[in-house]
Amino acid sequence: MASVQYHHPNRNRSKVDPVRILSYLAMAVVVVLIMVPVFWMLSGSLKTNQEILTFPPQWLPRNPQWHNYSDAWNAAPFGRFYLNTIITTAAGTTLELTNAALTAYALAFLRFPAKNLVFILLLAALMIPEQVTIIPNYLTISDILGQNWINTYQGIVLPGASVAVGTFLFRQAFMSLPREVIDAARVDGANHLQLLWQIVLPMAKPVLVTFGLISLVAKWNDYLWPLIVTNQDRMRTLSVGISYLYNPESTVRWGPLMAGTFFVIAPLIVIYLWAQKHIIEGITSGATKS
Amino acid sequence: MTTINRRTMLKGTAATAAGLTVASKASKTFAAPAVIQSGPTKIVYWGSFADSLGVAEKQLCDNFNAAQTDVELEYQYQGTYEETAQKLTAAVAARQTPDVSLVSDVWWFKFYLNNVLAPLNDLIAANNIDTTDYVDSLFNEGVRNGESYWIPMARSTPLFYFNKELYTEVGLPDGPETWDDLVAVTDQLVTKDGDTITRSAFAHPNSASYVAWLFQPVVWQNLGAYSDADFNIQINQEGAVKAGNFYRDSVVNGWATTPDDPESDFVNGYTASLMASTGSLAGILAESPFEVGTAFLPQAEAFGCCTGGAGLAILADKSAEQQAAAFQFVSWATAPEQTAWWSENTGYMPVRKSAVDGMTDFFAENPNFKTAVDQLPQTQAQDAARVFIPNGDQIIGKGLERITVNQEEVQPVFDDVAQTLEEEAEPVLEALAALG
Repeated sequence: MASVQYHHPNRNRSKVDPVRILSYLAMAVVVVLIMVPVFWMLSGSLKTNQEILTFPPQWLPRNPQWHNYSDAWNAAPFGRFYLNTIITTAAGTTLELTNAALTAYALAFLRFPAKNLVFILLLAALMIPEQVTIIPNYLTISDILGQNWINTYQGIVLPGASVAVGTFLFRQAFMSLPREVIDAARVDGANHLQLLWQIVLPMAKPVLVTFGLISLVAKWNDYLWPLIVTNQDRMRTLSVGISYLYNPESTVRWGPLMAGTFFVIAPLIVIYLWAQKHIIEGITSGATKS
Repeated sequence: MTTINRRTMLKGTAATAAGLTVASKASKTFAAPAVIQSGPTKIVYWGSFADSLGVAEKQLCDNFNAAQTDVELEYQYQGTYEETAQKLTAAVAARQTPDVSLVSDVWWFKFYLNNVLAPLNDLIAANNIDTTDYVDSLFNEGVRNGESYWIPMARSTPLFYFNKELYTEVGLPDGPETWDDLVAVTDQLVTKDGDTITRSAFAHPNSASYVAWLFQPVVWQNLGAYSDADFNIQINQEGAVKAGNFYRDSVVNGWATTPDDPESDFVNGYTASLMASTGSLAGILAESPFEVGTAFLPQAEAFGCCTGGAGLAILADKSAEQQAAAFQFVSWATAPEQTAWWSENTGYMPVRKSAVDGMTDFFAENPNFKTAVDQLPQTQAQDAARVFIPNGDQIIGKGLERITVNQEEVQPVFDDVAQTLEEEAEPVLEALAALG
């Protein structure tokens, strides 16, 4: 994203610019910081334990251990875990975005009593760490409307469906949108849903995609709650599946663990590469000329 | 959060409802079916093992179901020991407990204090189980006021591992019998590049790797204790302080190091020996390019070695019928035949004395495993301060890090540790008093 800001039309490209060099250096450092662990995971997924633990580090596997991948895949019902993760992540992200957009719309554009109080409560909810809510959530899910939702998809999804962070981010983004466009739409007779769907959300696309991505990654990687709220393999998700490969009570076999980690995060990497284009697109496009 | 959404919901937006419909449709297909009681008594077991240990645990459960028809056991993996504890806490509050759960040495007591674990003496008597056949130190760790609350299953102990090639060169091919034997040869074992130690004689773990578990025997070897059974803290008294000074000197005198992962240092040749769990034996043997020797823990004034690991407990809130079925699994899984099978497949110590008779072939192939089993009768249950005081392990471990890594003086550090332990013990003592 940083590179976009440097495309000034008047810059003389043939001249050596120290700022430009420095910024490329900084980007190179960041790329190394991000890519080395990913590379280490990928190369580790093809190594023996001895190669992984040796020092100085062995960067490339001498004799690629492709069976690490099949070992990892066969250690737990990963096909089922994929299906479960896709269902819970899709449902959770959809619900979270919907709830956040609707709530934020109300907080940004509607007039109703105690609006500030609601917003303050929302900010307060931001401060509560997730771990604290685990047992209350478990109690709720185990007896909700007379139903026991332990070991069900809705049990995994529901506590994450409504979070303060999204509402807060969306409200701030909605508040910064140009009022002229909103007012113009109102004059044209748009109702609230039309305003939200046709005017507000398209203009707030960068924050929508950004938060959608954050929500997606958080739900895909969520570990503790899915572990706590499910008991059986058939309801478990991928991140819990990784723990089937990790046993701290004896020597950890890092090769299959790295292989498993890779096939768990691979879909996320693809989605990120696709979505980041939309984030940049959203930043550079505007609805009004000022 | 529902209050925030109420108004927007009232505005007639259908999207949320649509999302919920998707979720509930999906759930209808896959929701857990209601348990219908017919035929065998169905029980649920919560276990904590992953990877190869998880495979063995699952196999044990399958074998149980194949061996009899009265009880049908469902095995449910629940993450690591700590995650299982967290999950059990939530399950107890929501009355969603399993019938049998794996409990670890460091957290079963919390559940005992809250009356979560069923007393087992009546079930043991009704099933004519000879408890004297269990290894005494392992069995007694689950006994409180004469009543048994869990049965040992996956138990390990510390063991002394050494690089046999290096120790043979210095004239100790069977490892050191005493710590003095080790100290005497440290000059030959340590290699240096300038002031940097390139190979140490011994490596200590950090608190994240349970250093307080491995330091426990050294305290006993110096005739000290973390505490007595009644929570009187003794870690700042003579024996423990002597052991602390020994640890500190080992680093100050430049023959021991404190790496993040001593086991990987060992297999890579950066240290000549270490203490580690018997559970690490298979991994260390598989990864070491050199011959590995194992020995009893070295002695100081006396021999000392502690136990660790997990066992099986039955939940107190179950019906008598469920508990009887659960006990059938507990007694079967820890019977001599299954003990030998479990031990050979996981590397955990055989918890039954008579199981060892059937393991002769296995010992012949795995002489290092035999060392650990031979040491087992001389082990003892850990002091209350580490296993019964909440976070006792980490409190002691952080103190040890101050001594070995920061090289602070032992007495003031252990005085601090003792004070913290005493404060943390108070709620435990109150809970014990309430139990009567």
